[in-house]
Amino acid sequence: MKIAELTKTFGKITAVDTVSFSIDQPQMVGVIGPSGAGKSTMLRMINRLTDATQGSIRINDREILALTGREKRRWQRDCAMIFQQFNLVPRLNVVTNVLMGRLNGHSTIKSLFCVFGRHMVEEALAALDRLGIADQALQRAETLSGGQQQRVAIARALMQTPKMVLADEPIASLDPLSAEKVMNSLREIRDRDNLTVICNLHTLDTARTYCDRVIGMLEGRIVFDDLPEKLTPSVVRDIYGANEELNESVTSTAIFKPGVEPDSGQPTPALTPLAANG
Amino acid sequence: MSLHIIQTEIMAMEKRRRLYSMACIVLIAAVLISGYGLANDLNSGGFLTGMQQFFDYPSEIVKEAWAAGFSFFLVMGRFVPALVETLNIAGAASIVGGALAVVLAFLGSANLGVNPPVVITIVRRIMDIMRAFPELILALFLIFILGSSPVPAMIAVAFHTAGALGKLFSEVNENADADPVEGLASCGATWLQRMRYGVLPQVLPNYLSYFMLRFEINVRASAILGFVGAGGIGMELRRTIGWGKGAGDETAALFMLLILSIFVIDQLSSFIRRRLVTGRDSE
Amino acid sequence: MTSSTLAIQPPAPVTGSLTVFSRIRRNSLLVMAGTGLTILYLLYTFISFDVWDLLSRSKPQRAVLLATDAVAHKVHVTKTIRGAGGLSIAVEGERTATYETPPGWVTVSDDLTRVDLAEGYRVDISGTHVIFQIPDLGPIHVRITDTGIETILPEGVDPPDWLRATPAKFDARPTIGRRVQVSKARIEVHRYFMGWENFFFPFRSELAVYSPGQLFSLAFSDQRLDPDMPNWRLMATTFWNNPGWQHKQVFIALLETFLMAVLGTITAALVGLPLAILAAANFTPAQALRFAVRRLFDFLRGIDMLIWSLIFIRAFGLGPLTGALAIAFTDTGSLGKLFSEALEGVNKKQMEGVNATGANRLQFYRFGVIPQIIPVFVSQTLYYLEANVRSATIIGALGAGGIGLMLVEAMNTQRHWENVFYLILLTISLVMVMDTVSAKLRNRLIHGRSGI
Repeated sequence: MKIAELTKTFGKITAVDTVSFSIDQPQMVGVIGPSGAGKSTMLRMINRLTDATQGSIRINDREILALTGREKRRWQRDCAMIFQQFNLVPRLNVVTNVLMGRLNGHSTIKSLFCVFGRHMVEEALAALDRLGIADQALQRAETLSGGQQQRVAIARALMQTPKMVLADEPIASLDPLSAEKVMNSLREIRDRDNLTVICNLHTLDTARTYCDRVIGMLEGRIVFDDLPEKLTPSVVRDIYGANEELNESVTSTAIFKPGVEPDSGQPTPALTPLAANG
Repeated sequence: MSLHIIQTEIMAMEKRRRLYSMACIVLIAAVLISGYGLANDLNSGGFLTGMQQFFDYPSEIVKEAWAAGFSFFLVMGRFVPALVETLNIAGAASIVGGALAVVLAFLGSANLGVNPPVVITIVRRIMDIMRAFPELILALFLIFILGSSPVPAMIAVAFHTAGALGKLFSEVNENADADPVEGLASCGATWLQRMRYGVLPQVLPNYLSYFMLRFEINVRASAILGFVGAGGIGMELRRTIGWGKGAGDETAALFMLLILSIFVIDQLSSFIRRRLVTGRDSE
Repeated sequence: MTSSTLAIQPPAPVTGSLTVFSRIRRNSLLVMAGTGLTILYLLYTFISFDVWDLLSRSKPQRAVLLATDAVAHKVHVTKTIRGAGGLSIAVEGERTATYETPPGWVTVSDDLTRVDLAEGYRVDISGTHVIFQIPDLGPIHVRITDTGIETILPEGVDPPDWLRATPAKFDARPTIGRRVQVSKARIEVHRYFMGWENFFFPFRSELAVYSPGQLFSLAFSDQRLDPDMPNWRLMATTFWNNPGWQHKQVFIALLETFLMAVLGTITAALVGLPLAILAAANFTPAQALRFAVRRLFDFLRGIDMLIWSLIFIRAFGLGPLTGALAIAFTDTGSLGKLFSEALEGVNKKQMEGVNATGANRLQFYRFGVIPQIIPVFVSQTLYYLEANVRSATIIGALGAGGIGLMLVEAMNTQRHWENVFYLILLTISLVMVMDTVSAKLRNRLIHGRSGI
C-alpha cells in the first residue's frame, strides 16, 4: 500500500497534511501523536468513511480514493475498521453483530429479513470463539462489558475476511486487562492471518510493545516513521510538543505499572504472561 | 451598594415577570369571556336553554335502550360488522400511513447521510403539508370521485398519518446513536442495510409506541369520517340519528359499541406502550 | 510474539452452533411472518372494502371536472326552444349574471346566432339547426326534429369519443374548455375562461367593469359613485356582500371554526390542570379521589368527540359554542391525563425546597409545581390546539357549523366548484397558519426556558 500526499481540510483547518508512507509487507503499524493530530482522520480516509481532499492511496496500482459505489463498499469490507466506541449495534445480539461483517455482498432482500446461511453463522461463531466470547453469542451487545464489545467488533472485522485491519484507538475506553486482551488479539491477526494492522494508539508503551513500526503525527504531518526502538525521549517530546512538560505516564494507560523505564525496550513485569507465550 | 443595585434589578425583573404573567392571564381570560360571548351569539341555540336540554337526548336514547331490554344486545350485535369496518379503516390507514411514514422519516432525517441533502428539506416540507391537510377535505373530495365507501376515509386518514407519524419518526431517528451506522458503513454496508441494522433496531420501540397511539387516534377519526359518508359505524350513526325518534336503541347500541372499542384500544395501547418503555429500561 | 493466548482456546461446541443458528433462523422467520401477516391483513381489508368494484365505479372525470371548474369559469350561451324562446348569455348560467349586450365572441343577427369558441371552433345556431365547426374534422350538423335529435357527422368520419349523440340528447366536448349540448328543449354552448369570475364584485355591480388601476384611483376619488358613502367604503361593502362568493359568510364560518378550536382547547387545558393535580399520585394522597378523577378522564376521552358533538348539537344547536364544548369535554380528558402524568414526573427536590420555606398550599403550587410543568402544559396545549383546528372542521361537518359545514354543503350542491376550491384553500391556510404559529410559540418556549 502506498499513500502519497494525503490531505484533508475542514474549512480552514488542515487535519491531515500531505501524509505519505508506504507499507510493503504485512506489519503492525502504530500511529501515535497528541489528540487532534489527524490520526483518526487518516484511518477514516483509508477506509473511505471520510473523503480525502487531496492525495492518493494505491494498492497494486489501484487507486482507492477513486472508488465509488459498489467498489468502494467492497474496499470497505476488505479494509476492516475497529473503533474506540466499538460501534456495534447495541440492541442486536452478538452473533448478528458479527454477521454484519458480511453485509457487503449480502442481497438486499436477505438483509431486510435477517436471513443468514448456516455456514455464515458457523463462521461467525468461529470468529467469536477465536476471541473467547462464543458463550455470549446470543446476548445483546449492549449487555457486554467494554472489552467484550471490542472483541465482538474484532470478530466482526474477522468476519469481513479483510486484507487489512484499521484500529482507531481500540483500547482508549477500556480497562487495562481488557485492553491487553484486545491488543493481543490484534497482534494475533497480524501474526496468524499475516495481515497489516494499522492501529492508532495514545499510549507509547503499547506502541512499543506490540508494533513493528511506529508513525508519529503532529498537527496533521508525519514527524516520525521508524522502528519502535527508535522512540527516544527526545523524539517523543518532538511528537507531543516540546514545550509541554511530558511525562510518559500521561500518555500511558495503566496496563503497565508506572515507574517503568520508557526507553528500556524490555518487556515490563506486567507483560510476562504475554512474553511467556511469545 | 452594588448588592443593593442587584437587588433592585432582581426586584424589577421579578416585577416585570409578574406583569407578563398577569398580562397573559388577563389576555386568556379576555379571549375566553369574549370568545364564549361571541360563540353564544353565533350559536343557534343559547347556552342556558342548551344546558336545560343537555340531558334530554342522552336520557331519551337510554330510555329507549332500556325499553328494548335484552334485544338491545342483539341490536349491538347487528352493528358489529360496521364496527369492524371502522376498525379496518383505521387499521389499514395506520399500516399504510405508518409504512409511508417510515420511508419519509428516513429520507427526512438530517443525520442519516441522505444524499443530496435537498431531499431532506423537500421531504420535510411534504410531511408538513400532509400533516396539516385536514382529513375531512381529502375524504370529501375522494368520496365525490370514488363514491361512498370506506376507501376514501382510509386514504384520507393514511395521508394524514404518514405526515404526522413521519415527523415523530424522524425526530426519533435524529436522536439515534450514529456509531452503529458508522460501524456498518466501515464494513461496506449499503445505505439500506445501514438503516435496517444500524438505525431500525434503535428506533423500533419508539416507532411502535407512536404507532399504537396513532392507531387509537385513527379509530376515532375513522368513526367520525363515517359520518360524512365513509362507511362504518359513523355512517350507521348518521342513519339512525337521521331517523329521529324511534331509533334511540340503535343509536345507544352504536354509542355503546364505539365507547367500548375505544376503551379497549386505549387500554391495550397504553399497556403495550408501557411494556415497550419498561422493556427497554430493564435490558 | 508469534503466537498468543488465544491459540489455546478449545474449538466451538457444535450444539452451541446449532442453537445459535436456529435462533437466528427463528428471528428471520419472525420478521417474515410479521411482514406476511401485515400484507395479508391489507389484502383482507382490500377485499372487504371492495376496492376493485369501487375503482370500476369511480368517476375520474369528476376529478377533471372539479379541477377545471376550480380554476376556470364558463359562460353559457343558451337558446330555449320551447316556451318563450330566446337567447341568454350568462356566467355559469346564473340569472343574476346575464349579459345585457352579447360579448364580442357572440354575434346575433335576425336569423343566426354565431358563437366563436376560438382556435377555429365555432357554433352557428339558426332556429333548431346547429352547426358545430371543428378544425380538422369539419362541421357537425345537429337538428331538432319532432322525432328527436338528428346528428350528421361529416362524411367518412367515425364518431369521436368525446361525442355522445342519441335521439334524446347531443353532447359534444371536443376540448375541456368547449362544450355544446342540445336537447329538445334547449341548445346550450359553454365556453370556459381561466380565473374566478366576479371574485371581488358581483356581475351586476357598477364596480365590476373597472380595471385594478382604475379601481385604485377611484377609491380615493371625490366623485362618489354612491352619494351615501365614499368609494372605498362602497368597494368594501360590495366585496363583503358579494352574493356569489359570500365573503362575509365565509369569514364568519372561518371565525366559528377558529373559535371552536381556541375556546375548546383553552377550556380543556384550564379545567384539566386542577383535575390533573387531583389525579396525580404525588399530590393527592386520597386514593379513592384519584381513582374517581382518573375514571372521569377515561370517561371523557372514551365517549369520543363524535358522540360528544352529536349530543351537544342536539342540545345547543348549530354554532361554535357547540363545537367548543364538544372539544372541551373530550380534551379535558386527554389533557388531564397528560398533565397528571407530567405532574407525577416532577422533581421532588424543588417542591420540598418550597415547602421548607413554610409556604402555604397555594404558594407551594405556584412556586414548587407550576414552574416545572408550565413548559409541558403550554406545549401540549398548543399541540392540541393545532389538532383541534382540524377537528373543528370535522365537527362542523357533522352539523356544528363553521367552515366544515359550509364545505360539505358546497360539495353536496355539486355546482360551484370554484367556491369549494376557495373554501378548501382557506381551510388549509387556517390550519397551516395555526400550525406555524403554534410551532413558533413552542420553539420559543423551549429555547426561552433553556436560555435561562
